[in-house]
Formats: sequence, structure tokens, C-alpha cells
Amino acid sequence: MSKDCGKLDELGNRSDPPYPKKLDKIIHLFETLPEDERRETIVSYAENAKKQEPRPGEKFDLEDVRKDEECMDTVGVYLHVDENGKAQIRMTLGPEVQTLTRAMTAILCKGLEGCTPQEILDLPSDFVTRIVGAELVRIRSQTIYYVLTRIKGICKVYLDRQRMAVA
Amino acid sequence: MATNPTQYAHPEALVETDWLEKHLEDDGIRIVESNEDVLLYDTGHIPGAVHIDWRADLQDPVIRDYITPEKFAALCGMNGITPDTTCIFYGDKANWWACYALWAFRLFGHEKVKILNGGRDKWKAEGRPITKEKPSYPKTSYTAPKKRFDKEIRAFADEALAQSKSKKPLIDVRSPGEFKGEITHMPEYPQEGVLRGGHIPGAKSMPWKTATKEDNTFKSAPDLAKIYFEQCGVKPDVDTVVYCRIGERSSHTWFVLTYLLGLDNVRNYDGSWTEWGNKVGAPIEKGA
Repeated sequence: MSKDCGKLDELGNRSDPPYPKKLDKIIHLFETLPEDERRETIVSYAENAKKQEPRPGEKFDLEDVRKDEECMDTVGVYLHVDENGKAQIRMTLGPEVQTLTRAMTAILCKGLEGCTPQEILDLPSDFVTRIVGAELVRIRSQTIYYVLTRIKGICKVYLDRQRMAVA
Repeated sequence: MATNPTQYAHPEALVETDWLEKHLEDDGIRIVESNEDVLLYDTGHIPGAVHIDWRADLQDPVIRDYITPEKFAALCGMNGITPDTTCIFYGDKANWWACYALWAFRLFGHEKVKILNGGRDKWKAEGRPITKEKPSYPKTSYTAPKKRFDKEIRAFADEALAQSKSKKPLIDVRSPGEFKGEITHMPEYPQEGVLRGGHIPGAKSMPWKTATKEDNTFKSAPDLAKIYFEQCGVKPDVDTVVYCRIGERSSHTWFVLTYLLGLDNVRNYDGSWTEWGNKVGAPIEKGA
């Protein structure tokens, strides 16, 4: 287990810290913000989502670009796992993707840096409302979970392929 | 009222982007943004525009209904709106929520309402000014309306049923798949399913988008007349009910029928399919 991520005990309970360190910091930041500033910070993350796009020359182990029914536009997820087993996630978002979904993209790409694909796959999704706040999680804004699902999806494919290669 | 109009019945209910850019600072108007994307306004909006959230501002926080006249008056007062203010609505999704907010304003008797033709997407595509600065207007005193005009422009489930039984025009503006009962949710929104799929018996399928052009502006009056008078069987002297899933897409069609074609007897069944498709014993037709 990486020191940046929480781990599961024998009963499947997550020990402290419950989330990857970087993500935990982001969660705590959002929880201390008054509502107005929380919204401003979410918008600021959303505006930085473009920085999570693949950079020239980067190579990936897996690429998954598609338009799903759950999301308004095409979303691309790119995964590279380095020699230490750490995942690097890059993402591309179509122009119709909602602001909250953009924000979650930037938050997750940053917050999951240094995690292994297995740690990402084990991540519970209950932190999302702690970041976004209950007021913004409502009908027509539920795609906030979509990005996490896609990131977990690509990690699962990666791990399945690794296991098959070993078998 | 002509069923073969050459122009909109109420052309004054639409403003064009070019006109609005030249009148941003006019007295007596308030530009109102209403979106599906709850944070879109915060990312930038038309200078001077206020944000009215269809969910947080217009709907009761607990019961599935709209706010009280007193709360509406307070909302208007907070945004510097008086009963004489002309509210120009615009938003994302081809003005779904702008039309919804406009319809809600009419529920409270606010008559001076307009739509920005083409909405937010057209404004942005044309490179017109956008700002993050949130305006602040002197608070106004808006007298609470004596009543909500539910009876005039809103239909409830029993009224939709009566409409169906009497075979009066009932227009389902959802996607064809939803109408046929092939899917129990709107395309792109699988998390918003209902228990049963199909449509209210006797309803005609006419997706809301049929009324718009590629740039989200409304089609011409003759084109709209063909769609609704000829294809949907809407008649000026017979009342019409429109519905979708939660009332936003049907607000768009309600605007078209009321303002662009000039019908004065159109009601929006805002309970729509999320009510009907979950309602025990409600009759349902499937297929085209």
C-alpha cells in the first residue's frame, strides 16, 4: 500500500486516513469553506479541468474515450501506471460537460495522484457530497459521480489485464 | 387568431442577442439567467444578469410545488424586480429553464416577460460579453401577488386525465423513446427513471426540439403553425395541455404555443411523467 492512501483492514474497514492524503486535504478544505466560497472554489477547480488533459509526448497504458448516456458530452480517461505502480490520470472533457463534473475531474486527478489503481478502485464515493455540499447534489446534477466511476472503470480494466497476463 | 400566421403572435416576447447587447443597461429591464447546470452562472454570465435557480429559488424546499406568493415577492425584491420590470430570461439547454422560470413568473402574475432567442449558447457562440461580476440592485418592494395562477396556466394530474378522456389536445414533448415507453428516463439522464414507461393515452408526440433551429432560436411562425396546428391538432378554441418529465421541456413548448402562436388556453402539466409514470392506477399507452 502506498503511504499516500488509506488501507483496508481484515474486516474491510478503512483505517486512517480514509482517503488518499491529497484528496483528504481537498475534502477538508471544502468542509471548512462557507457556502459562497465553496461554490467559488468548485468553479475554480472546474476552470482548471483543462490542465488535466494529456500533455504532448505523454504515453498511456490505457485510453478510454467515449460518450456515455450518463454524461452530456464525450469524456476521455487516460491511465499511465509508472514503474512503482502509481497511477497517473489525465482526462479530456467535451464542451457540454457540466461545471460540477468538470470540477470533480480536476479534484480527482489531483487528489488521486500517487495512488495505485487498486487503491483508486477501493475508494468509497461518500466524499463527493463532503466536497460539493448537500445543496448542489440534486436532480440534474448527479453526474458528479460519473467521473469517479469512469476513473475506477479504467483502473479495473488495467488490473484485470494485469491479472490475466500473470495467469 | 389565425392558424396560418405569417409572424409571431407576440413578437415582443422575444429579444435577439444583438438587441440585448445594446440594451444591457436599460432601465426597467432585468436579465435573468436560469440553467440546468447549477454553477454555470458562476462561471460567467451576461453583464448585469441575476441568477434565479429553478430548484432553490422557485420551488418549495420540501413539498413538490412552487414557492408561495410571499416568497416570490421576496425573491423579486432581492433581485431589484418590481411588477413593472421587464424580465428577460435566458439559459442553457436551449432555454429550457429560462422558459420554466418565465412560466413560473407568470404563475405569480408577472406579465412583463421575454426570452432571449437562442439563449446562453447563442450569446456565447457570438462572442458577446460575459462577466463573473455579480450585480447588486437596490432592493425593491414587490407586493405579494394575491394568488398563483395555477388554474390558468398549470395542469394537475386529474386535469391531464380529463384532457385525455375528453380527447382534447395533449402534447408529449419528450423524446420518442420516452413517449413509446422504450426508456423510462430522458436520454442522457438514466438516473432519473420512473416506474412505468409510455405516455398519457391520446397524447401526441412532438419533441420540444421540433420548435427550434440548430442555433436554438425558434422556428418561424408558419413552421410552428404547421407543427402544432396541423400535426398536433392544436386548435385556438380548444384548451391544450403540454407535459414532459418535470415540466421544463414542456415550459419551452408552452412558451411557443402561448407567445409565438398566441394561444391563450395552454396549460403546463409540470407534474409530468415523473408523477404520471409513478402514479398508481394512472392509465398508460405504449408505442407510437
